[in-house]
Amino acid sequence: MKNVTLGRYIPLDSFFHKLDPRSKICAMFAILIAIFIPAGWIGYAIIGTVIVSCIFIAKLQLDFIIKAMKPMLMMMIFLFVINLLVVKTGDLLFTIGPLTVYTDALTQTAYIAVRLVLMIMLTTLLTATTKPMDMTLGIEDLLAPLEKLKVPTHDIAMMISLALRFIPTLIDEADRILKAQSSRGVDFENGKFGEKITAIVSLIVPMFVSCFQRADDLADAMEARGYVVGAKRVRYKTLKFHGGDYVVLIVSNLILVGMILIWIFVK
Amino acid sequence: MSIRFEKVDFEYSPNTPFAFKALTDIDLELSKDKMTAIIGATGSGKSTLVQHLNALLLPTGGKVIVDEHTIEAGKKFVKTKDLRHKVGLVFQFSEYQLFEETIIKDVSFGPKNFGISEAEAIEKAKRALKTVGLDESYYERSPLELSGGQKRRVAIAGILAMGPDILVLDEPAAGLDPQGAEQMMTLFRKLNKEKGITVLVVTHNMEHVLKYCDEVVVLDHGKLLMHTDMTTFFENEKYMEEANINPPSIIRFKAMLRQRGLDIPSDILSIEDLARYLSRRKGK
Ligand SMILES: Nc1ncnc2c1ncn2[C@@H]1O[C@H](COP(=O)(O)OP(=O)(O)O)[C@@H](O)[C@H]1O
Ligand SMILES: [Mg+2]
Repeated sequence: MKNVTLGRYIPLDSFFHKLDPRSKICAMFAILIAIFIPAGWIGYAIIGTVIVSCIFIAKLQLDFIIKAMKPMLMMMIFLFVINLLVVKTGDLLFTIGPLTVYTDALTQTAYIAVRLVLMIMLTTLLTATTKPMDMTLGIEDLLAPLEKLKVPTHDIAMMISLALRFIPTLIDEADRILKAQSSRGVDFENGKFGEKITAIVSLIVPMFVSCFQRADDLADAMEARGYVVGAKRVRYKTLKFHGGDYVVLIVSNLILVGMILIWIFVK
Repeated sequence: MSIRFEKVDFEYSPNTPFAFKALTDIDLELSKDKMTAIIGATGSGKSTLVQHLNALLLPTGGKVIVDEHTIEAGKKFVKTKDLRHKVGLVFQFSEYQLFEETIIKDVSFGPKNFGISEAEAIEKAKRALKTVGLDESYYERSPLELSGGQKRRVAIAGILAMGPDILVLDEPAAGLDPQGAEQMMTLFRKLNKEKGITVLVVTHNMEHVLKYCDEVVVLDHGKLLMHTDMTTFFENEKYMEEANINPPSIIRFKAMLRQRGLDIPSDILSIEDLARYLSRRKGK
């Protein structure tokens, strides 16, 4: 459980770690849109190079990012199989029994795979270099204009930060209950279908019980410290833009514009 | 037949940025049929150590030997189920592992997992519940409506019902009222003396170590600091200092008496014995 690297903050000291979360979030969205612009392989090569260099600048190890992709592997395989069965355009590549494989199926799968990989690298870059608390501050600030429309932005931000805060706790908890039940002879890996169900129940019920308990305790603790839903609050930490933030925003938007230009003029 | 750690190393999340070496070069042979306390500061690796005994954690270096089972670093260990039947491990805050609708069902869950028939498992569960002091009126109640201390009893019964040869308890008394904690420790001592179960108990309570245990294992920052029998441990102030431990009140009291020129024999380890000894002395 502990080996899940997707979405985890890595405390290092780098250019990216020092950036304002707002600029990182905006830059990520710009690149994310850029990834979805069909600028062909040249486009992906450019974005890929930029992201990989950013990972190096952020002092992250590449194998950490690769680990983050592991949970996605099954999804990619699934997509690949679906594409093979569904896409029937392009040249006929080969046939195995009733299965016919066309070139477009391969290229489309490759496109999706590359996009997914780039997206995961990008989001991991964001989450690995931004503390969850800073992330919520950033989200709250970016959502601030919506307050005029009576959207409870602060409550949303509070919910996000509580959820983020409890992910590691819940992982620890699940790990502990998993081990406790394993000690009682539950086999979480092998076992027949019926046993699997019991195994899962023996994990989920205690998880629910302790989640409700924690939620209760947390609500009490917050109220005891004077938290009132919807009340106006001041901030202990305020966010500030520095030179690097402007650079990141400009570079990411240039990439987005570049992709649009390639799409319009090269294709 | 033995419980042995040979040059055991353990690292959490190896080869990641979160790698953390929790145990270093542990060489330890635990005595069977004894009750051994495992002590050390928070984070010294006590829980990590005990989880090696039933292969919940596998050593990243060296080997762990429990009777006929050898768990060696880098080798696949297949007899997990046999080992877990033999070594019953009660986790810290074990009350959170309860999940069945009724107490009797929850306690018989363990034995059933080890392939024991339904009827026999219920029999074992009833006996285990009796051992921890919960009578028939509890059988059909939901474990979730009990108090914290009662829940923990049910959890311990769930492990006892499996009939382990070795019982490992990770801070079983943490968070219980003093009386409940004493009852708990008395129970383990009884299991050890009467049923010959080897008991390993992780604890922070020195009074409990003094009163109930035969041997003491001290961990410090993932290393084995010492392993001695209880009397030697409490006789040597140097040991306790080294282990950074505040001696139990009776030991402190004896030290004060010694300073004033009154030497008390080392086998006197309870207030009652001391009082008896002193009154006998006075009578002479
Ligand atoms: N799942 C884990 N992943 C990483 N580090 C851990 C994990 N569990 C414990 N540790 C670390 O290992 C060390 C020993 O922990 P533990 O065995 O729980 O100590 P104790 O039980 O003596 O308090 C601690 O520093 C703890 O932070
Ligand atoms: Mg512990």
